Amino acid sequence: MIGRQPFFPKKRRREPPVPPRVEAGRSRLLITGALFSAAFLVVSARLVGVTMFVEKSQPQYSRSVSKPAFVTGRANIVDRNGNLLATSLKTASLYANPRVMLDAREAVNKLANVLPELDRRALHAKLTQDRSFIWVRRHLTPRQKYEVNRLGIPGLDFRDEERRVYPSAALVSHILGHTDIDNHGLAGIERHFDRKLQSDKSPLNLSIDIRVQHAMRQELATAVREFHGIGAAGIVMDVRNGEVISMVSLPDFDPNLPADIQSDTRFNRATLGVYEMGSTFKIFNTAMALDSGIVTIRDGYDATKPIKVSRFIIRDFHAKRRWLSVPEIFMYSSNIGSVKMALEVGVTRQRAFLQKIGILHPSPVEISEIGAPLIPGRWREINAMTISFGHGLSVSPMQLVAGVGAMVNGGIYHAPTFLKKPSGSKNKGRRVISAKTSDRIRRLLRLVVAKGTGSKAAAEGFLVGGKTGTAEKVVGRRYKKKALMSSFVGAFPMNAPRYIVFAMIDEPTGTEKTFGYATGGWVAAPVVGKVISRIGPILGVKTVDESAPAIEREMAIDIITKQKGKRRLASF
Amino acid sequence: MRIGSADRGPMTIGQKLWQVSWSLVLFLIILTGIGCAMLYSAGDASWDPWARRQLIRFGIGLCLMIVVAVTDIRRWLRHAYTLYFLVLGLLVAVEMKGVIGMGAQRWIDLGVVQLQPSEIMKITLVLALARFFHGASLEEIGRPTFLIIPLLLVAAPVVLVLRQPDLGTAIMLIMTAGVIFFLAGVRAWKFGLVFGAILAAMPLAWTLLHGYQKKRILTFLNPESDPLGAGYHILQSKIALGSGGVFGKGYLSGTQAHLNFLPEKQTDFIFTMLAEEFGMVGGLILLGIYAIVLIYGFAISLRVHNQFGRLVTLGITGTFFFYVFINIAMVMGLVPVVGVPLPLVSYGGTAMLSLMIGFGFIICAYIHRDVRVGRHGNGGDD
Repeated sequence: MIGRQPFFPKKRRREPPVPPRVEAGRSRLLITGALFSAAFLVVSARLVGVTMFVEKSQPQYSRSVSKPAFVTGRANIVDRNGNLLATSLKTASLYANPRVMLDAREAVNKLANVLPELDRRALHAKLTQDRSFIWVRRHLTPRQKYEVNRLGIPGLDFRDEERRVYPSAALVSHILGHTDIDNHGLAGIERHFDRKLQSDKSPLNLSIDIRVQHAMRQELATAVREFHGIGAAGIVMDVRNGEVISMVSLPDFDPNLPADIQSDTRFNRATLGVYEMGSTFKIFNTAMALDSGIVTIRDGYDATKPIKVSRFIIRDFHAKRRWLSVPEIFMYSSNIGSVKMALEVGVTRQRAFLQKIGILHPSPVEISEIGAPLIPGRWREINAMTISFGHGLSVSPMQLVAGVGAMVNGGIYHAPTFLKKPSGSKNKGRRVISAKTSDRIRRLLRLVVAKGTGSKAAAEGFLVGGKTGTAEKVVGRRYKKKALMSSFVGAFPMNAPRYIVFAMIDEPTGTEKTFGYATGGWVAAPVVGKVISRIGPILGVKTVDESAPAIEREMAIDIITKQKGKRRLASF
Repeated sequence: MRIGSADRGPMTIGQKLWQVSWSLVLFLIILTGIGCAMLYSAGDASWDPWARRQLIRFGIGLCLMIVVAVTDIRRWLRHAYTLYFLVLGLLVAVEMKGVIGMGAQRWIDLGVVQLQPSEIMKITLVLALARFFHGASLEEIGRPTFLIIPLLLVAAPVVLVLRQPDLGTAIMLIMTAGVIFFLAGVRAWKFGLVFGAILAAMPLAWTLLHGYQKKRILTFLNPESDPLGAGYHILQSKIALGSGGVFGKGYLSGTQAHLNFLPEKQTDFIFTMLAEEFGMVGGLILLGIYAIVLIYGFAISLRVHNQFGRLVTLGITGTFFFYVFINIAMVMGLVPVVGVPLPLVSYGGTAMLSLMIGFGFIICAYIHRDVRVGRHGNGGDD
């Protein structure tokens, strides 16, 4: 017991009967307990403080930075800058096993209290069937799920599901398409990449820029309203690699509500619809003629009178009734001149050329709505003649845009794509015309906007070039005189083109402001002009002084006019 | 009814089961029940991925607790050091793997289950220290050299845990050890000395801290300085707490938590989620239940007549207290964010199992409260 005595008695003197260790332990236990209690009181007081007195000065940050706690099956889709275009949310869906259900009527009444949108009669009919699985309601919120659980109805259960959500609603609808209630892609990118989206975890990165898409959609919608059109299409494509930056087809739909989509809004005018494009085809005709070497920029053709071929008469819309040089044929959009150029080049070469630039095959763009071009069964002289000015051959706007891209970018064809190409990747493409021909075409396109029918597309500083197109629509088996398809295909900046901008209005009617005209120059060219002035800064295209001597030299073209038998040189 | 007193000979398993403090077990079940309800809500009204697994782990923990409780306390005393060094070995193993795997490595993969040895160490350290001080006389305790071994017992796991790096667990180990040292009778001036030494070492320690740890402390001092970065957790937590008000927004309706504004809502910040959905009242009720469990610990320690059982009970009660206090104080911005879970409520397997085993030791001490324990666990008097 000696060892039990405190070594330093002056500090710890204790009464003998109580073992000092226990005594010391008791008091220390008390101190510990008191400290613990004090700590609890502090915590409780703080809890009362933070819950009852909200600090008003505290900023309310509303950004969520944590990752979602669950992983959903279908991959996200994002635009070229990473903006979310399509994502999946985890939901619970309610199903019933009517064979286990005790009282269908009571179950229906209880469920209707929690889910008032249910159709009582239809649900009762379903719940009294002799089946073991029926859906009651898909995609409940956590609150609804809890309420249903609380009803405690035997025979009801949940299945984990996910639901596709498109934050930008109708904006990108024709590109993305939509999914069915079981999350299978039914249209657009969702359908074309259905398997990839189901297996991949990383988001699908599209080439679309949602800001450009918005500008295009807004300008097209304004034009449709103004000219009482029945629809419209618009495309922006990067001519250096074929990336589609924007693609709009109006009317469009909200992919979040697939059940409400009207069938006419599903129709994609940009890739599924094929149309006789009219005068925009003269870009191809001129490029073909110049590139073949048979026709030169200094040649000219007699356009004094219309051409009669069997039962057709080919006239000029802006008839000059004189000899026209190649640039003039392009600038004044002369059908007669175009026909004569095409005939000089010949049927076989024309067909081979159009084949080369992707006009005779369905567009390779990655979407399930692709229209096959309508090409003549037997390619005769008469076909070559009408095709030269864009009739007798129907293509989708996407085919046209990809082809025009190759005409202006130095002569390289790039297949259009909706997928963002990794930065620094090589864009090989395929040479279809010489760089020299492409340079000529650029000057001609600039001429149309600077001095010709496309002047309304001029967006100051962006050096826009382009070509108008106005075609009568084929309805049934004949042309419908009053129904036009007015389009404009432009590119900018013309000294080093980066983007093709295409706009097309379906069945526009002229207004007082356009003096009753509903042609491409009056209806579609202004859309392209407004779109370019909005997207140019977004896409980082620098404006230039269009009247600067260096720019003028780059865009200059010699035009030989022949009046009263004399040749004269005029320079534009 | 003194069935288990020493003079009646050893108790049977049946008698011991009768002696288990079932009311304490009931409170543990209530706490876990609250935890599972919150995890169900955190999973957006789903048993997966958290609530179901937490419930299964509680079941396993309950079985382990009973097994620990009915085992003779002298056997635990005899094996206290063995268990301690076993877990220390696991910590070393984690350290080895951590070197290979780089970064913070707190887990060890035993094939079937993943273990976090630092959590188990909180229990085994209590056992080892209780064994050391068991039977030590006051005069021995008063000798400074006598304290070298227990200090080494504490320092070894603390150093290993700090290297992981897991500051929260290291602090908890030190504080729990401090409680045991204090209750075993170590002189008060020695605590003052250690405290002074810590204060003096602070500038040195600051240079040794990881960048993120420094940032946490600076952010704790002023969370508004970096509202979207390191201060994000604590600001969101305070916004969620404040938005709950007195009675809360209702079960499953906590917008801050459900819309993922609240980070780590299923683990460290589950108290915030509870307070958002059940308000101040809910939070105070939970604190009340924790207080009841702590009172059980103190009450049992008063009735245990052997030093080993008493120190184990108080050590584990202290561990439990630090879990609750550090977690709740952390989510309310009273102490820096150090990553300590809310016991039995937060989602986490090893913490749940080691806490249940810890309560097994408390109940074991209670069952064997009148058993005389020799200095080396061999029965009879010392």
